[in-house]
Amino acid sequence: MDGIHDFGGKQGYGPIDTGETEEPFHYPWEARLFGITRAYTRPVPFTLDWFRFTRETIEPAEYLNRRYYDQWLEAHEVIAVFGGAFTVEEVATGKSAGPIDGLPPPMRPDKVDAFKRVMTRYDRPSDAQPTLAPGDEVTARSNGAIGHTRLPQYVRGRRGWLEVFRGFHILPDTNMTGGEAAEALYSVSFLAADLWPEAAGRPDRVYLDLWESYLERA
Amino acid sequence: MSADDAERLGAIHRELHSHLPSEPALRVKALESLLVEKGLLDPQTVDRWIEVYTEEIGPKRGAELVAKAWTDPAFHDRLLADGTSGIAELGFEGWAGGHLDVVENTAKVHNLVVCTLCSCYPHSVLGIPPNWYKTAAYRARAVREPRSVIAEFGDRIPDDVEVRVWDSTAEVRYLVLPQRPKGTEGWNADRLAALVTRNSMIGTQRDLTSRVGQV
Repeated sequence: MDGIHDFGGKQGYGPIDTGETEEPFHYPWEARLFGITRAYTRPVPFTLDWFRFTRETIEPAEYLNRRYYDQWLEAHEVIAVFGGAFTVEEVATGKSAGPIDGLPPPMRPDKVDAFKRVMTRYDRPSDAQPTLAPGDEVTARSNGAIGHTRLPQYVRGRRGWLEVFRGFHILPDTNMTGGEAAEALYSVSFLAADLWPEAAGRPDRVYLDLWESYLERA
Repeated sequence: MSADDAERLGAIHRELHSHLPSEPALRVKALESLLVEKGLLDPQTVDRWIEVYTEEIGPKRGAELVAKAWTDPAFHDRLLADGTSGIAELGFEGWAGGHLDVVENTAKVHNLVVCTLCSCYPHSVLGIPPNWYKTAAYRARAVREPRSVIAEFGDRIPDDVEVRVWDSTAEVRYLVLPQRPKGTEGWNADRLAALVTRNSMIGTQRDLTSRVGQV
Protein backbone atom coordinates (compact mmCIF):
# COMPACT_ATOMS: atom_id res chain seq x y z
CA MET A 1 0.00 0.00 0.00
CA ASP A 2 1.11 3.55 -0.54
CA GLY A 3 1.29 4.20 3.19
CA ILE A 4 3.26 6.27 5.65
CA HIS A 5 5.66 3.35 6.22
CA ASP A 6 7.32 3.79 2.82
CA PHE A 7 9.96 6.25 4.05
CA GLY A 8 12.78 5.84 1.52
CA GLY A 9 14.01 9.25 0.32
CA LYS A 10 11.40 11.31 2.19
CA GLN A 11 12.75 14.51 3.67
CA GLY A 12 12.28 16.52 6.82
CA TYR A 13 12.71 13.84 9.50
CA GLY A 14 15.75 15.51 11.02
CA PRO A 15 18.85 14.11 12.71
CA ILE A 16 19.40 10.53 13.88
CA ASP A 17 19.84 9.83 17.59
CA THR A 18 23.46 8.70 17.24
CA GLY A 19 24.03 8.93 20.99
CA GLU A 20 21.51 6.22 21.82
CA THR A 21 22.84 3.70 24.37
CA GLU A 22 23.40 0.14 23.16
CA GLU A 23 21.17 -1.94 25.43
CA PRO A 24 18.69 -3.99 23.39
CA PHE A 25 15.54 -2.72 25.11
CA HIS A 26 15.05 0.81 26.40
CA TYR A 27 11.94 0.22 28.53
CA PRO A 28 10.84 -2.89 30.44
CA TRP A 29 7.61 -3.02 28.42
CA GLU A 30 9.61 -3.21 25.18
CA ALA A 31 11.44 -6.30 26.39
CA ARG A 32 8.18 -7.78 27.63
CA LEU A 33 6.36 -7.23 24.34
CA PHE A 34 9.28 -8.65 22.37
CA GLY A 35 9.33 -11.77 24.54
CA ILE A 36 5.55 -12.17 24.27
CA THR A 37 5.67 -12.09 20.48
CA ARG A 38 8.34 -14.81 20.45
CA ALA A 39 6.42 -16.98 22.90
CA TYR A 40 2.68 -16.90 22.31
CA THR A 41 0.57 -19.33 20.35
CA ARG A 42 -1.02 -17.46 17.46
CA PRO A 43 -4.81 -17.80 17.76
CA VAL A 44 -5.43 -16.91 14.10
CA PRO A 45 -3.51 -17.45 10.82
CA PHE A 46 -0.38 -15.33 10.87
CA THR A 47 2.23 -14.68 8.19
CA LEU A 48 5.15 -12.29 8.29
CA ASP A 49 3.61 -10.30 5.44
CA TRP A 50 0.18 -10.14 7.09
CA PHE A 51 1.94 -8.75 10.18
CA ARG A 52 3.81 -6.20 8.07
CA PHE A 53 0.65 -5.12 6.27
CA THR A 54 -1.28 -4.76 9.51
CA ARG A 55 1.51 -2.56 10.85
CA GLU A 56 1.37 -0.49 7.65
CA THR A 57 -2.32 0.21 8.26
CA ILE A 58 -1.66 2.00 11.57
CA GLU A 59 -2.95 5.56 11.19
CA PRO A 60 -0.12 7.73 9.82
CA ALA A 61 0.14 10.09 12.81
CA GLU A 62 0.25 7.10 15.18
CA TYR A 63 2.81 5.32 13.01
CA LEU A 64 5.10 8.33 13.26
CA ASN A 65 4.66 8.84 16.98
CA ARG A 66 4.58 5.36 18.45
CA ARG A 67 7.78 3.55 19.33
CA TYR A 68 8.63 0.51 17.25
CA TYR A 69 7.51 -2.12 19.75
CA ASP A 70 4.30 -0.19 20.34
CA GLN A 71 3.63 -0.60 16.62
CA TRP A 72 4.30 -4.32 16.97
CA LEU A 73 1.91 -4.48 19.91
CA GLU A 74 -0.84 -2.80 17.95
CA ALA A 75 -0.34 -5.03 14.90
CA HIS A 76 -0.59 -8.17 17.05
CA GLU A 77 -3.77 -6.87 18.70
CA VAL A 78 -5.36 -5.91 15.38
CA ILE A 79 -4.56 -9.28 13.80
CA ALA A 80 -6.25 -11.12 16.68
CA VAL A 81 -9.34 -8.86 16.57
CA PHE A 82 -9.57 -8.98 12.76
CA GLY A 83 -9.37 -12.78 12.87
CA GLY A 84 -12.13 -12.98 15.48
CA ALA A 85 -9.98 -14.47 18.28
CA PHE A 86 -10.25 -11.49 20.68
CA THR A 87 -12.73 -8.67 21.09
CA VAL A 88 -11.67 -5.06 21.52
CA GLU A 89 -13.12 -5.28 25.04
CA GLU A 90 -10.83 -8.22 25.88
CA VAL A 91 -7.75 -6.46 24.49
CA ALA A 92 -8.64 -3.30 26.43
CA THR A 93 -9.22 -5.01 29.78
CA GLY A 94 -6.85 -7.98 29.57
CA LYS A 95 -9.75 -10.16 30.79
CA SER A 96 -10.79 -13.18 28.76
CA ALA A 97 -14.49 -13.64 27.99
CA GLY A 98 -13.92 -17.33 27.30
CA PRO A 99 -11.41 -19.91 26.11
CA ILE A 100 -10.47 -20.65 22.50
CA ASP A 101 -10.74 -24.35 21.67
CA GLY A 102 -8.42 -26.41 19.56
CA LEU A 103 -5.17 -24.47 19.93
CA PRO A 104 -1.85 -26.05 20.93
CA PRO A 105 -0.46 -25.24 24.40
CA PRO A 106 1.99 -22.33 24.67
CA MET A 107 5.72 -22.72 24.21
CA ARG A 108 7.46 -23.78 27.42
CA PRO A 109 10.67 -22.07 28.58
CA ASP A 110 12.78 -25.17 27.96
CA LYS A 111 11.87 -25.05 24.26
CA VAL A 112 13.45 -21.62 23.69
CA ASP A 113 16.93 -23.06 23.19
CA ALA A 114 15.65 -25.07 20.22
CA PHE A 115 13.46 -22.31 18.76
CA LYS A 116 16.18 -19.67 18.98
CA ARG A 117 18.12 -21.62 16.32
CA VAL A 118 15.22 -21.92 13.89
CA MET A 119 16.13 -20.36 10.59
CA THR A 120 13.20 -19.93 8.23
CA ARG A 121 13.84 -20.03 4.50
CA TYR A 122 11.62 -18.17 2.09
CA ASP A 123 12.88 -19.67 -1.17
CA ARG A 124 11.09 -22.60 -2.77
CA PRO A 125 12.04 -25.20 -5.33
CA SER A 126 10.74 -24.41 -8.81
CA ASP A 127 10.92 -25.83 -12.32
CA ALA A 128 10.57 -22.35 -13.77
CA GLN A 129 13.47 -20.42 -15.25
CA PRO A 130 14.18 -16.80 -14.34
CA THR A 131 13.38 -14.61 -17.33
CA LEU A 132 15.91 -11.92 -16.42
CA ALA A 133 19.67 -12.31 -16.19
CA PRO A 134 22.54 -10.43 -14.54
CA GLY A 135 23.44 -7.37 -16.58
CA ASP A 136 19.90 -6.82 -17.90
CA GLU A 137 18.64 -3.26 -17.74
CA VAL A 138 15.27 -3.18 -16.00
CA THR A 139 12.60 -0.69 -14.99
CA ALA A 140 10.68 -1.01 -11.75
CA ARG A 141 6.90 -1.11 -12.12
CA SER A 142 5.22 2.29 -11.82
CA ASN A 143 2.10 1.32 -9.90
CA GLY A 144 1.61 0.37 -6.30
CA ALA A 145 -0.91 -2.13 -4.93
CA ILE A 146 -3.94 -1.99 -2.64
CA GLY A 147 -2.51 -4.59 -0.27
CA HIS A 148 0.99 -5.36 0.87
CA THR A 149 3.91 -4.96 -1.51
CA ARG A 150 7.65 -4.63 -1.14
CA LEU A 151 8.30 -2.30 -4.06
CA PRO A 152 9.15 1.06 -2.48
CA GLN A 153 7.90 4.24 -4.11
CA TYR A 154 11.36 5.72 -4.58
CA VAL A 155 12.34 3.20 -7.28
CA ARG A 156 9.00 2.93 -9.10
CA GLY A 157 9.40 3.76 -12.78
CA ARG A 158 13.17 4.05 -12.37
CA ARG A 159 15.84 2.24 -14.38
CA GLY A 160 18.15 -0.23 -12.68
CA TRP A 161 20.49 -3.13 -13.40
CA LEU A 162 19.91 -6.73 -12.58
CA GLU A 163 22.80 -7.94 -10.44
CA VAL A 164 22.03 -11.42 -9.08
CA PHE A 165 19.26 -14.01 -9.33
CA ARG A 166 18.47 -15.09 -5.77
CA GLY A 167 16.16 -18.02 -6.42
CA PHE A 168 12.38 -18.30 -6.27
CA HIS A 169 11.12 -16.59 -3.12
CA ILE A 170 7.64 -16.35 -1.64
CA LEU A 171 5.88 -13.29 -3.07
CA PRO A 172 4.81 -11.00 -0.18
CA ASP A 173 1.88 -9.54 -2.13
CA THR A 174 0.03 -12.87 -2.05
CA ASN A 175 1.68 -14.42 1.02
CA MET A 176 0.07 -11.65 3.06
CA THR A 177 -3.19 -13.62 3.11
CA GLY A 178 -1.59 -17.06 3.10
CA GLY A 179 -1.53 -17.58 -0.68
CA GLU A 180 2.00 -18.87 -0.95
CA ALA A 181 3.46 -18.46 -4.45
CA ALA A 182 7.15 -18.36 -5.27
CA GLU A 183 8.51 -15.99 -7.87
CA ALA A 184 12.00 -15.15 -9.13
CA LEU A 185 13.76 -12.69 -6.84
CA TYR A 186 16.63 -10.54 -8.02
CA SER A 187 19.12 -8.12 -6.53
CA VAL A 188 18.71 -4.93 -8.57
CA SER A 189 20.98 -1.90 -8.34
CA PHE A 190 19.99 1.68 -9.04
CA LEU A 191 22.46 4.48 -9.59
CA ALA A 192 21.90 7.03 -6.82
CA ALA A 193 22.17 9.77 -9.44
CA ASP A 194 19.16 8.26 -11.25
CA LEU A 195 17.09 8.44 -8.05
CA TRP A 196 18.14 11.69 -6.38
CA PRO A 197 19.10 14.94 -8.12
CA GLU A 198 21.64 15.85 -5.44
CA ALA A 199 23.56 12.60 -6.07
CA ALA A 200 24.60 13.68 -9.59
CA GLY A 201 28.20 12.72 -10.27
CA ARG A 202 28.42 10.28 -7.35
CA PRO A 203 29.36 6.63 -7.97
CA ASP A 204 26.93 5.49 -5.25
CA ARG A 205 24.27 2.83 -5.76
CA VAL A 206 21.20 1.56 -3.96
CA TYR A 207 20.52 -2.20 -4.05
CA LEU A 208 17.05 -3.69 -3.56
CA ASP A 209 15.76 -7.26 -3.73
CA LEU A 210 12.82 -7.20 -6.13
CA TRP A 211 10.49 -9.88 -7.45
CA GLU A 212 10.05 -10.51 -11.16
CA SER A 213 6.52 -9.08 -11.29
CA TYR A 214 7.91 -5.79 -9.91
CA LEU A 215 10.16 -5.42 -12.96
CA GLU A 216 10.06 -4.89 -16.69
CA ARG A 217 12.92 -5.22 -19.13
CA ALA A 218 14.01 -1.66 -19.95
CA MET B 1 -7.24 -9.14 0.23
CA SER B 2 -9.59 -6.40 -0.90
CA ALA B 3 -9.99 -2.70 -0.34
CA ASP B 4 -12.77 -3.63 2.14
CA ASP B 5 -10.35 -5.70 4.22
CA ALA B 6 -7.92 -2.78 4.35
CA GLU B 7 -10.78 -0.53 5.48
CA ARG B 8 -11.74 -3.03 8.18
CA LEU B 9 -8.16 -3.19 9.43
CA GLY B 10 -8.08 0.61 9.59
CA ALA B 11 -11.34 0.63 11.53
CA ILE B 12 -9.95 -1.83 14.11
CA HIS B 13 -6.86 0.34 14.56
CA ARG B 14 -9.05 3.37 15.22
CA GLU B 15 -11.31 1.46 17.59
CA LEU B 16 -8.32 0.25 19.62
CA HIS B 17 -6.94 3.80 19.80
CA SER B 18 -10.18 5.07 21.27
CA HIS B 19 -10.57 2.23 23.82
CA LEU B 20 -7.03 1.53 24.99
CA PRO B 21 -4.82 3.57 27.33
CA SER B 22 -2.11 5.65 25.67
CA GLU B 23 0.61 4.26 27.93
CA PRO B 24 2.18 1.26 26.11
CA ALA B 25 3.27 -0.43 29.36
CA LEU B 26 -0.41 -0.77 30.37
CA ARG B 27 -1.41 -2.19 27.00
CA VAL B 28 1.44 -4.72 27.04
CA LYS B 29 0.37 -5.79 30.53
CA ALA B 30 -3.23 -6.23 29.36
CA LEU B 31 -2.16 -8.29 26.35
CA GLU B 32 0.03 -10.53 28.50
CA SER B 33 -2.83 -11.10 31.00
CA LEU B 34 -5.25 -11.89 28.21
CA LEU B 35 -2.89 -14.35 26.49
CA VAL B 36 -2.20 -16.12 29.79
CA GLU B 37 -5.93 -16.35 30.58
CA LYS B 38 -6.61 -17.74 27.13
CA GLY B 39 -3.95 -20.41 27.66
CA LEU B 40 -1.79 -19.07 24.84
CA LEU B 41 1.23 -17.84 26.79
CA ASP B 42 3.61 -19.03 29.50
CA PRO B 43 5.14 -15.92 31.17
CA GLN B 44 8.31 -17.83 32.02
CA THR B 45 8.90 -18.37 28.31
CA VAL B 46 8.74 -14.59 27.87
CA ASP B 47 11.44 -14.21 30.56
CA ARG B 48 13.59 -16.77 28.78
CA TRP B 49 13.32 -15.06 25.37
CA ILE B 50 14.26 -11.71 26.92
CA GLU B 51 17.25 -13.35 28.58
CA VAL B 52 18.39 -14.95 25.32
CA TYR B 53 18.19 -11.68 23.37
CA THR B 54 19.80 -9.68 26.18
CA GLU B 55 22.68 -11.95 27.13
CA GLU B 56 23.34 -14.32 24.28
CA ILE B 57 22.17 -13.11 20.87
CA GLY B 58 23.65 -9.72 20.08
CA PRO B 59 26.41 -7.85 18.21
CA LYS B 60 29.13 -9.86 19.97
CA ARG B 61 28.22 -12.69 17.65
CA GLY B 62 28.68 -10.51 14.58
CA ALA B 63 32.01 -9.29 15.96
CA GLU B 64 33.18 -12.88 16.40
CA LEU B 65 32.16 -13.61 12.83
CA VAL B 66 34.06 -10.58 11.51
CA ALA B 67 37.20 -11.42 13.48
CA LYS B 68 37.15 -14.97 12.15
CA ALA B 69 36.74 -13.68 8.59
CA TRP B 70 39.74 -11.38 9.13
CA THR B 71 41.98 -14.17 10.41
CA ASP B 72 40.82 -17.22 8.43
CA PRO B 73 40.91 -16.62 4.65
CA ALA B 74 39.07 -19.85 3.80
CA PHE B 75 36.26 -18.95 6.22
CA HIS B 76 36.18 -15.42 4.78
CA ASP B 77 35.57 -16.85 1.31
CA ARG B 78 32.89 -19.28 2.50
CA LEU B 79 31.12 -16.54 4.47
CA LEU B 80 31.01 -14.19 1.50
CA ALA B 81 29.85 -16.97 -0.83
CA ASP B 82 27.04 -18.09 1.52
CA GLY B 83 26.42 -16.11 4.68
CA THR B 84 23.81 -18.50 6.02
CA SER B 85 26.19 -21.48 5.93
CA GLY B 86 28.94 -19.26 7.30
CA ILE B 87 27.04 -18.29 10.45
CA ALA B 88 26.01 -21.92 10.96
CA GLU B 89 29.70 -22.83 11.26
CA LEU B 90 29.81 -20.74 14.44
CA GLY B 91 26.44 -21.95 15.74
CA PHE B 92 24.75 -18.62 15.04
CA GLU B 93 21.75 -20.00 13.19
CA GLY B 94 18.52 -18.23 14.06
CA TRP B 95 15.97 -15.54 13.42
CA ALA B 96 16.37 -13.81 10.04
CA GLY B 97 19.50 -15.80 9.21
CA GLY B 98 17.93 -17.96 6.49
CA HIS B 99 19.19 -15.79 3.63
CA LEU B 100 22.20 -13.86 4.89
CA ASP B 101 24.38 -11.88 2.51
CA VAL B 102 27.68 -10.58 3.90
CA VAL B 103 28.88 -7.51 2.00
CA GLU B 104 32.52 -6.49 2.32
CA ASN B 105 33.96 -3.02 2.66
CA THR B 106 37.12 -2.37 0.65
CA ALA B 107 39.34 0.62 -0.08
CA LYS B 108 36.92 1.51 -2.90
CA VAL B 109 33.53 0.38 -1.55
CA HIS B 110 31.52 1.15 1.57
CA ASN B 111 28.30 -0.70 2.41
CA LEU B 112 25.34 0.56 4.45
CA VAL B 113 22.27 -1.47 5.46
CA VAL B 114 18.71 -0.21 5.92
CA CYS B 115 15.11 -1.41 5.67
CA THR B 116 13.06 1.50 4.36
CA LEU B 117 9.70 -0.35 4.50
CA CYS B 118 9.84 -1.85 8.01
CA SER B 119 12.97 -2.67 10.02
CA CYS B 120 14.47 -5.93 8.72
CA TYR B 121 17.75 -6.81 10.43
CA PRO B 122 20.05 -9.85 10.74
CA HIS B 123 18.88 -10.67 14.27
CA SER B 124 20.72 -13.95 14.79
CA VAL B 125 24.10 -12.22 14.41
CA LEU B 126 23.35 -8.65 15.60
CA GLY B 127 20.49 -9.16 18.07
CA ILE B 128 17.90 -6.45 18.60
CA PRO B 129 18.32 -3.48 16.24
CA PRO B 130 19.09 -0.07 17.72
CA ASN B 131 16.05 2.16 18.02
CA TRP B 132 17.49 4.65 15.52
CA TYR B 133 17.61 1.90 12.88
CA LYS B 134 13.81 1.66 13.17
CA THR B 135 13.08 5.40 13.05
CA ALA B 136 11.69 7.44 10.16
CA ALA B 137 14.85 9.55 10.06
CA TYR B 138 17.19 6.64 9.39
CA ARG B 139 14.85 4.75 7.08
CA ALA B 140 14.13 7.88 5.02
CA ARG B 141 17.67 9.21 4.80
CA ALA B 142 19.92 6.14 4.48
CA VAL B 143 18.95 5.52 0.83
CA ARG B 144 19.03 9.18 -0.17
CA GLU B 145 21.92 10.71 1.73
CA PRO B 146 24.04 7.84 3.06
CA ARG B 147 27.12 10.01 3.26
CA SER B 148 25.40 12.58 5.49
CA VAL B 149 24.00 9.81 7.68
CA ILE B 150 27.46 8.26 8.14
CA ALA B 151 28.91 11.73 8.79
CA GLU B 152 26.36 12.18 11.55
CA PHE B 153 27.78 9.03 13.15
CA GLY B 154 31.26 10.53 12.84
CA ASP B 155 32.90 9.13 9.68
CA ARG B 156 33.54 10.82 6.37
CA ILE B 157 33.42 8.66 3.24
CA PRO B 158 36.01 9.81 0.67
CA ASP B 159 34.58 11.01 -2.66
CA ASP B 160 36.26 8.22 -4.62
CA VAL B 161 34.71 5.49 -2.48
CA GLU B 162 31.47 4.04 -3.86
CA VAL B 163 28.69 3.82 -1.27
CA ARG B 164 26.38 0.84 -1.70
CA VAL B 165 23.15 1.04 0.25
CA TRP B 166 21.32 -2.27 0.78
CA ASP B 167 17.58 -1.78 1.25
CA SER B 168 16.26 -5.04 2.79
CA THR B 169 13.06 -5.29 0.75
CA ALA B 170 12.88 -9.12 0.70
CA GLU B 171 13.94 -11.82 3.20
CA VAL B 172 17.63 -11.43 2.36
CA ARG B 173 19.44 -9.85 5.31
CA TYR B 174 22.71 -7.97 5.13
CA LEU B 175 25.76 -7.83 7.37
CA VAL B 176 28.65 -5.50 6.58
CA LEU B 177 32.15 -6.93 6.86
CA PRO B 178 34.19 -3.86 7.89
CA GLN B 179 37.85 -3.37 6.97
CA ARG B 180 40.42 -4.62 9.43
CA PRO B 181 42.18 -1.52 10.81
CA LYS B 182 45.91 -1.04 10.50
CA GLY B 183 48.00 -1.63 13.60
CA THR B 184 46.34 -4.96 14.40
CA GLU B 185 48.89 -7.21 12.70
CA GLY B 186 49.42 -10.38 14.70
CA TRP B 187 46.31 -9.90 16.88
CA ASN B 188 44.32 -13.02 17.63
CA ALA B 189 40.63 -13.34 16.81
CA ASP B 190 39.42 -12.58 20.37
CA ARG B 191 41.30 -9.31 20.51
CA LEU B 192 40.13 -8.36 17.03
CA ALA B 193 36.51 -9.12 17.91
CA ALA B 194 36.67 -6.58 20.73
CA LEU B 195 37.38 -3.89 18.11
CA VAL B 196 34.30 -4.54 16.04
CA THR B 197 31.33 -2.29 16.76
CA ARG B 198 27.68 -2.96 16.00
CA ASN B 199 27.51 0.17 13.84
CA SER B 200 30.45 -0.99 11.71
CA MET B 201 28.42 -4.10 10.82
CA ILE B 202 25.40 -1.95 9.85
CA GLY B 203 27.69 0.41 7.97
CA THR B 204 27.07 3.65 9.87
CA GLN B 205 30.71 3.45 10.96
CA ARG B 206 33.50 2.82 8.43
CA ASP B 207 36.79 3.29 10.19
CA LEU B 208 37.70 1.16 13.23
CA THR B 209 41.21 2.62 13.56
CA SER B 210 40.28 4.74 16.57
CA ARG B 211 39.32 1.53 18.43
CA VAL B 212 42.81 0.02 18.14
CA GLY B 213 44.20 1.85 21.17
CA GLN B 214 41.09 1.10 23.22
CA VAL B 215 41.07 -2.70 23.36
